[in-house]
Amino acid sequence: MLRFLYLFVYALGSLLLFACESRSVRQPETAAVITVTDDLGRKIKIPKFPQRVMALAPSETEMLYAVADENTIVGRTQNCDYPAQVIKKPIVNNYPMDYEQLVLLKPDLVFTVEGMTSAEEAAKIQELHIPVYYQKFEKVTDVLRGLTDMGRLLQRQEQAKTVVDSLQKALNRLQVRAATKLKPNVLAITWRDPIFVYGQNTIFTDKLHYINAENAVREILPQPYPALTREYILKLNPDIIIGGSFGKMDTSFFKIYPELKQVKAYRNKKIFAATDNLMARPGPRVVASIQELKEFIW
Amino acid sequence: MSRNVLYIFFALLLVLLLLGLGLRIGSFTSDFSTVASALLAYTPENPAHFAIVELRLPRLLLALVVGASLAFSGYLMQALVNNALADPYILGTASGASLGASLSIAGFISTTWAGIYLPPFFALAGAFSVTALVILLGYRQGQIIPSQLLLAGIAIGSLLTAMVSLFTFLSGSESAIKSIMFWSMGDFGRANWNLLPYPIIALGLALSLFLFLQKELNILYLGAERAGTLGVQVVRTRWLVLLTVAVVTGFSVALAGSVGFVGLIIPHVTRSLLGLTHKLNLVLCALLGGGFLVACDILSRFLYPPAGLPIGIITSFFGVPFFVYLLLKKSYRFN
Repeated sequence: MLRFLYLFVYALGSLLLFACESRSVRQPETAAVITVTDDLGRKIKIPKFPQRVMALAPSETEMLYAVADENTIVGRTQNCDYPAQVIKKPIVNNYPMDYEQLVLLKPDLVFTVEGMTSAEEAAKIQELHIPVYYQKFEKVTDVLRGLTDMGRLLQRQEQAKTVVDSLQKALNRLQVRAATKLKPNVLAITWRDPIFVYGQNTIFTDKLHYINAENAVREILPQPYPALTREYILKLNPDIIIGGSFGKMDTSFFKIYPELKQVKAYRNKKIFAATDNLMARPGPRVVASIQELKEFIW
Repeated sequence: MSRNVLYIFFALLLVLLLLGLGLRIGSFTSDFSTVASALLAYTPENPAHFAIVELRLPRLLLALVVGASLAFSGYLMQALVNNALADPYILGTASGASLGASLSIAGFISTTWAGIYLPPFFALAGAFSVTALVILLGYRQGQIIPSQLLLAGIAIGSLLTAMVSLFTFLSGSESAIKSIMFWSMGDFGRANWNLLPYPIIALGLALSLFLFLQKELNILYLGAERAGTLGVQVVRTRWLVLLTVAVVTGFSVALAGSVGFVGLIIPHVTRSLLGLTHKLNLVLCALLGGGFLVACDILSRFLYPPAGLPIGIITSFFGVPFFVYLLLKKSYRFN
């Protein structure tokens, strides 16, 4: 009996010791802080093992769902609607920024993209001891690199690698071989009055390169989404217009600007409606977006 | 030829030169001979000809007629309320137009119906209804009280500006915000031949009417009582001014948005050149207003190609320093 009592005390002691030991080993790891540099060149301190993460941009939320453990994602913005399960997450308004809700959710790392969160907002969030990591996407490969970076920061390298490899394979598969020298000019319209379009310095231009097409806006204008005059568009004379179905554009856009019916895209009825979220979000669905463009163009 | 007629001649020449220059500027390369051949032997198949006749000319004419309309309306309003700070927008016309357009652009009401693009129509409806409301508030015991009209205009204008800000804030996209901004600060990008006749006819009729009533308008500067004793039908003249300003300004802001400062500064420039009550004041005012906006439009497209900056930014940048100079000039007095 006494032997059993000794054994019991020994087992209990070992268990306690093990528990203490594992705490003493894990605690410094979870509490450890590392310094990283984001895509804007900002040096920020983040936990080595982030446990509560969220994004302040829909594209970044999509990336988190592709890479992170879903249980570690603590919230979303009012515009995040993909993948479907994101809807269940609590909302943090990003315009105007709801700092209080952000503090309530206590993320230990927040991802965002340039243009979505201002430097002033980021500074204020950092004052609340929540690190803000900016990503920047100018090319399709930047998205793949962004996913890899995210995996590294979240200690999810394997998951990120699987996603990136699969995207890279899909990208290689859909690349149009330059069998023909003909490269159609594509104009993507985002707003009709004034006419705002995807400029040369947007990821849209790079997406088109994969499918042997060109952004009709060749000139690099100061704004990524510049306003164009009708005359400028007439001169561009795009082969394809992305901005709405032919029927819809014919009864709306071309009613306001009948002069533009002269462009090749209208004459050949090469006018298409792209899925808004695919075009606008440089996330893990970037290849799906290129695929959609390919279907319109070829 | 008197000095005053020379001013008119030079203003006309300036407008023509600016129009000629404006017709040259665009995405398609075109020299003066291309402009001349486009105007005299138009070939629609030639892209440069098409751009000059179908796009550049209506745009420049819209800038001209809007500038002329706002300057003319500003002149009338300053005479009506006998106040140097009055402009065509004190009746709330511009705020009403911006409200109508922004409601539609922000997606709170439809933007198209049966293929018709609705924001200009909502802008026109907003301009007329808000102007009517302000006039109603400025109306007491059978007549218009200018000071009350002024206060009502300021109050309603502030309220509507707040509402436009609210709709801008609530609008879903960055493009919608920019679109409302273009509307609120003026833009000639939508100009086309179909819509041009309305502001031109409105301005033509109004200008003809007040060329006959110029004398009565001048006597209004003396105040209602003295004008009455001098035989002016004050109530009738005031109503005519209000209705004219409402219609002429309404068409302008519906088609080009609320371009600022033209209606305030050009009447002062005119009076500083010809004097307070010259019979050619209205004509010169319209010419200078038109020329000023054509110049601002050319400048905006030159500074920020291809679509240009919202025109109100340019008018303020160049108009305000000139206005300050005019205020400091000792020889100029409003009354």
